[in-house]
Amino acid sequence: MAEGPAWICQMTGENMQKKRLFASFAVTALVAGSLVATTSVATAATRSVTVWSPYKGGQLEMWNAAIKRVEAENPGLKVTSVGSIDMSKSVAAINAGNGPDISVSNGNGNLGWFCGTGAWQKLNVLIAGKNGIDMKSTFTPSAVASSISNNNRCALPLYSEVFAFYWNKDALAKAGYTKPPKTTTELLEYSKKLTTFNSDRSIKTAGFVPWAGYYGFDMDSMWLGQMFGAKWYGGDQNSAFSSDPKWAKAFNWQKDFIAKVYGGGDFEAGSKLLLKFVAAKGGEWGTDHDFMTGRVAMKWDANWMAPMFCTGDDWTMAEKCTSKVNFGITGFPVSPDNLGAYGSGVVGQAQMGISKGSKNVKDAWIVMKALATDTKLAAAWDAANGSPSSLRDKAARPANQPTWYLPIYEVANNQKSAYHILKNTGHHLEEALLQNLMASWQNGDTANIKSALSNLAQEVNQIISRNS
Amino acid sequence: MQLTNVMASLSPRKRGEGALAPARRKLKIPYLFIFLCMSPWLFGIIFFTAYPMVTSFYQAFTKFNLIDKPEWVGLENFNRMLFEDSDFWLSLKNTVWIAAISIPLRIAFAMFTAWVLTKPKRGSSIYRTIFFLPSMVPAVAATMVFTYIFNPAYGPVNRGLEAVGVNEPPFWFMDPKWSKWGLILLGLWGIGDTMIIYLAGLLDVPKSLYEAASIEGASPWQSFRYITLPMMTPVIFFSFVTGVIGSFQYFTQAYVASGQVNDYSHAMYFYASHIYFTAFRAYEMGYASALAWVLLVITLVCTLIILKTQKRWVHYPNGSLFK
Repeated sequence: MAEGPAWICQMTGENMQKKRLFASFAVTALVAGSLVATTSVATAATRSVTVWSPYKGGQLEMWNAAIKRVEAENPGLKVTSVGSIDMSKSVAAINAGNGPDISVSNGNGNLGWFCGTGAWQKLNVLIAGKNGIDMKSTFTPSAVASSISNNNRCALPLYSEVFAFYWNKDALAKAGYTKPPKTTTELLEYSKKLTTFNSDRSIKTAGFVPWAGYYGFDMDSMWLGQMFGAKWYGGDQNSAFSSDPKWAKAFNWQKDFIAKVYGGGDFEAGSKLLLKFVAAKGGEWGTDHDFMTGRVAMKWDANWMAPMFCTGDDWTMAEKCTSKVNFGITGFPVSPDNLGAYGSGVVGQAQMGISKGSKNVKDAWIVMKALATDTKLAAAWDAANGSPSSLRDKAARPANQPTWYLPIYEVANNQKSAYHILKNTGHHLEEALLQNLMASWQNGDTANIKSALSNLAQEVNQIISRNS
Repeated sequence: MQLTNVMASLSPRKRGEGALAPARRKLKIPYLFIFLCMSPWLFGIIFFTAYPMVTSFYQAFTKFNLIDKPEWVGLENFNRMLFEDSDFWLSLKNTVWIAAISIPLRIAFAMFTAWVLTKPKRGSSIYRTIFFLPSMVPAVAATMVFTYIFNPAYGPVNRGLEAVGVNEPPFWFMDPKWSKWGLILLGLWGIGDTMIIYLAGLLDVPKSLYEAASIEGASPWQSFRYITLPMMTPVIFFSFVTGVIGSFQYFTQAYVASGQVNDYSHAMYFYASHIYFTAFRAYEMGYASALAWVLLVITLVCTLIILKTQKRWVHYPNGSLFK
């Protein structure tokens, strides 16, 4: 009994074999499974990308929806999006070595610094690589130009901000004009006719105010330069403030404009009157804005001011304008020798880059490329904020943008529309210095514009040289 | 001798010598406890004062853009400051101007206001509160209000000036020639904190001195010149030193006012503004550190000069604190 019958022994032997076989399968499966699990855990851990952006509210929702799409298209890739982070926080974190993989800068100005210092990594190789982007066929000309500094492409563009020319149709019609001024000569002529004075000789309504500090976001001097086609840097990569005579021409035009339109030929008198007029300007962000009250008939301004001009106090895009001011939008008037640039404006882009110290550049590039070329995101962003996409793809445009707003797209897509060339001048100091000069000039504190421009060019060159 | 007696009376007694004995035991305990109590302060001074100071001293000799590692450049930053940086001289000039004008004016105005406030027989605490209140308004809010009331087009100040026959009143913050005067007026409006020290000083002058002077036939001016002024010199000295230090660090009001009126002319660009813009606009941390250390040296030298000269003009009834 102890040994049992033979069939039992046979059965037991077969069972044992089966058990061994099963056990060996189980062990193999277990080992393989654990190996796979380990591998996938390791993959999940390394395939994560952090994106910091300044967005909040509805913008962050759109942004996060796009990030979800990136995750869906790239299984195993985890993207963490953190909103409400301004660039100073990002810069501090990048400096401390714990920055995000990708950070977003709302404007164009700091690109020179990001590229120049290496805070954002060079993308030239990634762009030209197998999973790269054909920049020229993907983005608008201004977007291609705005994301490069010193041949170092360290960013990809997002949506655009467009600085164009706004004109009050009713006010111009009253003065006998049906079209906006095309040249700086016409602008002066129109302004003369549109400017009215009070009995005490103070300015009641102004035609156009070429004045640093009049609702200009510190960019008036940049816009003035764009009207005259003035270059920021020469072929030798040095500042062109002195070498390009168009700068002096632009500033002299400004002085002449102030004298003729406001001072009856006397610059000093015109400057004083204009200073007082500017001091009394209405608030920037509401219905008492001078353009809305009719205090000024023509002005240069940003695309994101258009919804406010259109509805009075609502910043969302409206189908029909309901405010008192009946306005049109077009490119800047240009100097007679720069007629080819008519229809253009200053166009810059929000930028995003891969931080120095990112441990996962490959995946960061996948995420950044996907976000930059996401037509759904671009169209939704444009529909909500009126910010034209940097993408050429028609799918990036919202279907029902109101007709009154369409000129913004014409300016954005104009071949001559651009931001100026960017170099490492810190927090775009060359813009601030030029603006200071414009202010000093308009106040009559600078006597010789040529020598002032020469000093300015020297200062900018020194800054770039120190930062290089 | 007197001091020795006092010290001896305070020295801990031996065990069983009376009521102070248990207290002595308590005093002996707690080095660790004392250290623990001090640790928040120690932590603060080591990590938030000493460490940044040492770091910035090192960075003052480097080129540092926040991203790349600091690169040693020796004295180049100081050379640039003295011979290449026109904004350094402009900001220093503006700072010296504001110090030279505002410190004497603040001292005189604070003393005058305090003197006026010693006069009312009734409701003096109400008047004192009213005069002190502006100093409690945050600098940013006060500056914004001032740029509004001094607006050349619609501000009530210029409206008032025009109403009394001033044909072309100044453009204040919008005019480089007048903007610093706007800041001076803003400073005088918020004189309350200094005024309260002067008030305490004035109330501390023994009345017997005035009575004696009166008996001797001294005029009010003579009483002021030979009693009030000498007795107030320690307070004047204190506000002079703090005024110099404060003037060299003058920033908030100038920064806010410049932003409000777009001061592209840099008339309100002071030394502290230059440090701020160099560090956080130009991202030149090395150079900004050098500027900060030069500011420390300038302030230190000015303070030492004032301390050195105080023997000649500061009258301490019980002898100098800085012998």
